[in-house]
Amino acid sequence: MGDSKRHRILMVSDFFYPNFGGVENHIYLLSQCLLKLGHKVVVMTHAYGNRSGVRYMTGGLKVYYVPWKPFLLQNTLPTFYGTLPIIRTILIREQISLVHGHQAFSTLCHEALMHARTMGYKVVFTDHSLYGFADVGSIHMNKVLQFTLADVSQAICVSHTSKENTVLRSGLPPEKVYVIPNAVDTAMFKPAAERPSGNEIIIVVISRLVYRKGADLLVEVIPEVCRMYPNVRFIVGGDGPKRVRLEEMREKHSLQDRVEMLGAVPHAQVRSVLISGHIFLNSSLTEAFCIAILEAASCGLLTVSTRVGGVPEAYDMIVLAEPDPTDMVQAIKKAISILPMIDPQDMHNRMKKLYDWHDVAKRTEIVYDHALNCSNQSLLERLSRYLTCGAWAGKLFCLVMIIDFILWRLLQLWKPAEDIEVVPDIVLSHDEDRGISQDFQAFNEDNSLR
Amino acid sequence: MVESCISNKIYSYKHECKWPNSEAADVHSIIVRKSRSKGFLVFFSALLILANAILLFLIKDKSIAVVFWSFIWDVLIVKLLLQKPVEKESVVIMPALGVQLETHYVSGNIIRRFVPIDKILKPVLLECVTPVTCYWSLSLIVQEEAELMLVFKELHPPVKMLVPIWKALCAATGSEGSLNTFTEDGPCC
Repeated sequence: MGDSKRHRILMVSDFFYPNFGGVENHIYLLSQCLLKLGHKVVVMTHAYGNRSGVRYMTGGLKVYYVPWKPFLLQNTLPTFYGTLPIIRTILIREQISLVHGHQAFSTLCHEALMHARTMGYKVVFTDHSLYGFADVGSIHMNKVLQFTLADVSQAICVSHTSKENTVLRSGLPPEKVYVIPNAVDTAMFKPAAERPSGNEIIIVVISRLVYRKGADLLVEVIPEVCRMYPNVRFIVGGDGPKRVRLEEMREKHSLQDRVEMLGAVPHAQVRSVLISGHIFLNSSLTEAFCIAILEAASCGLLTVSTRVGGVPEAYDMIVLAEPDPTDMVQAIKKAISILPMIDPQDMHNRMKKLYDWHDVAKRTEIVYDHALNCSNQSLLERLSRYLTCGAWAGKLFCLVMIIDFILWRLLQLWKPAEDIEVVPDIVLSHDEDRGISQDFQAFNEDNSLR
Repeated sequence: MVESCISNKIYSYKHECKWPNSEAADVHSIIVRKSRSKGFLVFFSALLILANAILLFLIKDKSIAVVFWSFIWDVLIVKLLLQKPVEKESVVIMPALGVQLETHYVSGNIIRRFVPIDKILKPVLLECVTPVTCYWSLSLIVQEEAELMLVFKELHPPVKMLVPIWKALCAATGSEGSLNTFTEDGPCC
């Protein structure tokens, strides 16, 4: 840790364990690495079913599952000011210095960032996805993002393409945006000891079978490849609305013995599915940063992917194609021809050097240092930033922030900060006989309480 | 014999040892302090509302119903805001016998719950999260019960008052008080 300060970070997002996904994984792994660097990390998310209240995860990671009901796609109901009391309580009791929000689609994240700014905390935002500009949903989401990011201290994007997308959508100055790609857990994704032998070449596809992930492209590509190469087999893992189309394709071209449909694959079994193949096919139509490709490369598979979004930035040994069936078939042809020259262990080692969560954590720590060095601004200075968001929108945002400020002051009068008790820090001690035990030092020292 | 006393704005904590010669019982109480300023404020605002209603009736010739309804409203808010149903809650620890949890109401009603010592697996200090706040609570893990038993059902005393009670309960039930101080599940109200 050396001379850098110890930060106390609150990660906020609607998406966290027990939900599985890219954002959830990112928050968890980043938090673990930051804990190892010596910082304090607390996560706040909404309650998942019965899972409500305070939980502790590996390494002493404290998670607050706040009992607000999700209303749409795991998003908390946006009430603008409803979450102000609980966020204020958590920020004071954990003595947080910095709030880090994840994912533009998370309403809890936007509300938390807004309240944190009102209360004077420094704020960092990470955007994980690419969004459009044209449809009604995107237009509204971009406006909300513009509001949140008008006053953010720093922002992080997962690829340069994503940075371009975020800067255009939100009007944020590019100097404030850092690019820190996701990483992959190379310890978990190891290649098989021996490659699958035989004459067959096995192409693996694992993705959600939805329009966005290019399931329709697969429907065109698979029969063509099977026709051209009699020794190629496909394994398709994942589920979704487009699964029906793939099943129909199988029936139509009688490919039942050449295309195996696995259904939804739990995250723990992804590696075993990957190591049964030689080539990984990704047909997404849009992707900010594709972790699936990294996982496949870490397992020693040669990747064929569509040239979209942040995919070309991942690493150099991907065979790229335009999102067009003919082009993709050509790419698969090229991949099959260079397959004998690929060494899985070599690919894995390269991934290990290029992508590491500890490296991501160190870079994020630098962003936190910059954020905390930003100057404190008064309410009036901050309001002037909101006015630039648009003719009507700017004034509306200012009004929202003024009301938030007034509500915060009233809350301070009703429930003063001195009444909120600070939680003592957890000190993890490793005990060989009893496993990891945790110790509230302050509770054992009577003097400090009286 | 009063052994220790901590207080804050709303609650005060008292630890007494009944029959100090034999170690028969240890009483820990959390008492709700009377707040004079709150009472004054409530009565004053009630008076204001009634005065306003009477003025409206006499000067602006509104019907008597206004006075009647404002009087009802006054009675309601006085009842709601000034009624302190709970006077104090206490924990009587009788080593080797059990723990008695008492709730004393202002009306004179006392509700007692007794838990035998061998049914208590462990006393735990937990954080409860509600949609608007987060507070500490002291609970008992009881054998053959799916739910935790809250020691203080009505009151939410601060953690500095809960810790000595928790330590005393740990000592009485024989569980380790200093390490492994929290469990992963809890009743989060």
